[in-house]
Amino acid sequence: MPTMKKIAASAISAIMAVSMLCSSAFADQPYEGYNYDWWGDPVPSQTGYVVDRVVTGLDFGVGKRYNSEAQLKEISEQTGKEVPAEEAIEEFKEPQDLFVDRETKSLYIVDSGNNRILVTDVEYKNQFIIMDYFYNPETKKYETLKNPHGIFVKHDNNSLNENESTMIYIADYDNNRVIGCYADGTIFQTFERPSDEFYGAEVTFQPNKVVVDVAGNVYVNILSITDGAVMFAPDGSFSNYFGANRVEQTAQAIANKFWRTILSREAAASFIQAVPMEFNNFDIDDDGFIYTVTQSKSATTDIFKKMNPAGENILINLGYSDYTYGDMASYYYKNQTYGSQITDVDVDENGTIRLLDFGNGRIFEYTDECDLLFIYGGKGNQKGLFTNVTAIEAYNSVVYVLDSRKNSITTFKRTEFGDIVHEAMSLYNLGKYEEASGPWQEVLTRDSNYWFAYIGLGNAELSQGNYSEAMNYFYRNSRAGYNRAFKQYRMQFVRDNFNVFMIIILVLIIALIVLSKLRKHFKKKKAGGTK
Amino acid sequence: MRFDLDMPAWKWPFYVARHPFEGFEDLRWKKAYNTKVAMVIVLCFFIITVCQQVMTGFLFNTSYVKVFNIVPLLVQTIILFFTWVIGNWSLCTLFDGEGSVKAICSVSAYALVPYLITQVVVIIASNVLLTGEAAFIVFFQYLGILWSVVLMISGIKTVHQYSIPKTLLAMVFTVAAMVIILFLLVLLLSLFQQVYIFGFSIYTELMYRFSL
Repeated sequence: MPTMKKIAASAISAIMAVSMLCSSAFADQPYEGYNYDWWGDPVPSQTGYVVDRVVTGLDFGVGKRYNSEAQLKEISEQTGKEVPAEEAIEEFKEPQDLFVDRETKSLYIVDSGNNRILVTDVEYKNQFIIMDYFYNPETKKYETLKNPHGIFVKHDNNSLNENESTMIYIADYDNNRVIGCYADGTIFQTFERPSDEFYGAEVTFQPNKVVVDVAGNVYVNILSITDGAVMFAPDGSFSNYFGANRVEQTAQAIANKFWRTILSREAAASFIQAVPMEFNNFDIDDDGFIYTVTQSKSATTDIFKKMNPAGENILINLGYSDYTYGDMASYYYKNQTYGSQITDVDVDENGTIRLLDFGNGRIFEYTDECDLLFIYGGKGNQKGLFTNVTAIEAYNSVVYVLDSRKNSITTFKRTEFGDIVHEAMSLYNLGKYEEASGPWQEVLTRDSNYWFAYIGLGNAELSQGNYSEAMNYFYRNSRAGYNRAFKQYRMQFVRDNFNVFMIIILVLIIALIVLSKLRKHFKKKKAGGTK
Repeated sequence: MRFDLDMPAWKWPFYVARHPFEGFEDLRWKKAYNTKVAMVIVLCFFIITVCQQVMTGFLFNTSYVKVFNIVPLLVQTIILFFTWVIGNWSLCTLFDGEGSVKAICSVSAYALVPYLITQVVVIIASNVLLTGEAAFIVFFQYLGILWSVVLMISGIKTVHQYSIPKTLLAMVFTVAAMVIILFLLVLLLSLFQQVYIFGFSIYTELMYRFSL
């Protein structure tokens, strides 16, 4: 018996040790994963991403200037001070933007406070490259940046020259210009404030973000412009505004519209013009769709848009125009409202959309049709929490988040759960619903609250013709899916029971005829009786 | 065609629904107001509202039934009905209305019948139809509401022997009276709660004092 006791005790201690190991494995996540259910209530969920690394500028020692020896000499002559080829990176200073160049697998960091661009590879293995002096062939001088806010890198594969195939566009905020330069820093194009009369006379030109489409059109986001992004043609001329938000339908806006239809033009002019909210950030995907986000606590219209090249929000057609992005509800605590303020968007190579929430420091990951997959991150000082997020980028299931107050880049890596969801998701997106049902089942065994798995399984059953099972999966998960399954189910039900229906209808008709005859008969009798 | 008006009490609501205008005159003339039938209809009103929350098909169900709470439904149906009756009676007795509480109660309940019938149809249809066929459901919903409203106007008009404009005005003011009644009710409730809390705190204080 004592041996039994010993075995039991050792078994228990072993279990405790294992469980403690497990709990310590969970403990290094400072946030809890959650998702939203059918009712819009938050429910706990497995986390899809965990913190991998947090890096600051101090982690990288010495960086190398990309200028050649001869160029450095010229720079030193021009500026009158020694510009060394190598320099310590030091801390970032209020970095504003990140960019992952998928072709060269390099990561661009816009170190705004230090007026420079830092380039490294996506795994931080290479030495940092410092870009701060840009050669302008027109003036034959070297120019610097002043508080750059955005960056975009484009590749021209037709170019013979390797250097000229990389085109870097930098939104040079305080210099009121966007510069386009090659990999060696030679400026080939500058976009300045358009002198066009369509461009408002009092409007400044402080570029916040920049994207470039395949055709070479340059879209510049300027925070003081509510008409949309300023769009330049490839030759550098101002062509148009692109993709303004709609005006929020507030009671005041509606009342103003009503009065404007009644009153004279002069009287109506005294009203305050309803102006849409400007968007704060944008991204472009491989198919040329431009995604914009609006960082506003109060706005509910056009928080997130996916626009085709004509500037139309195609998510409205999917029925998501008034969909709540970010957290479903904001809360009020100690004289302050805490709600989602989407500050950046990233669309990766698979079409997965990630929205960065400035208000709560969270990342919301959506499918390409805006179905919520994961929520991670949060506000705070621990690893994986943020104080002042500014930019998000993703490459190969690794997510990079830039914090401009912590001056750090946080990388998240996908958990096993996240991998399974994405595996299922990619099969699902290809229309391979039946192949996806295996991974979806696996997802449900790990997290039975995961609503999108039910939709995946519902579609799998629907494609196999198991309509009632599909309806069960779609019930309280997807109205559109349920509608499709129910349509088929109803058709099949009527077809299978056609004879029964016909017999019932015939019997009813006969019964009605007989009843009415009988009624007439009795009435006649009654009438005859009283007479 | 002459109708035999000596029908049992439960047939009257259906007769009235089929004859929105002279039906109530007949009802008044026959003095066939029946509180029992009215109570059954109000109970049906409550039950059908509950069914509508719980049994409407998934495609058309917009109510939050994750946590089912019966109290708001009770307020929305039975309490609302009686507030309407009391509000209408207290207002119309001041403005030369002839209706008694019994009459107003029966007439208002009888007027609900078309709404209840169409609501049952809607609940059944919502389990059979697709979202693309929602027009049928909307049609029946509006039909029921419209019919009931017409009946309610006609009924109140007949019961108090008002003209139509006066009836409409009385109904608007009844709604205002209902708001006041409900406000006072809530006030009373919260005051009693305060009194209860006061009494309870004295009780606990005494308990501590005598260390029981």
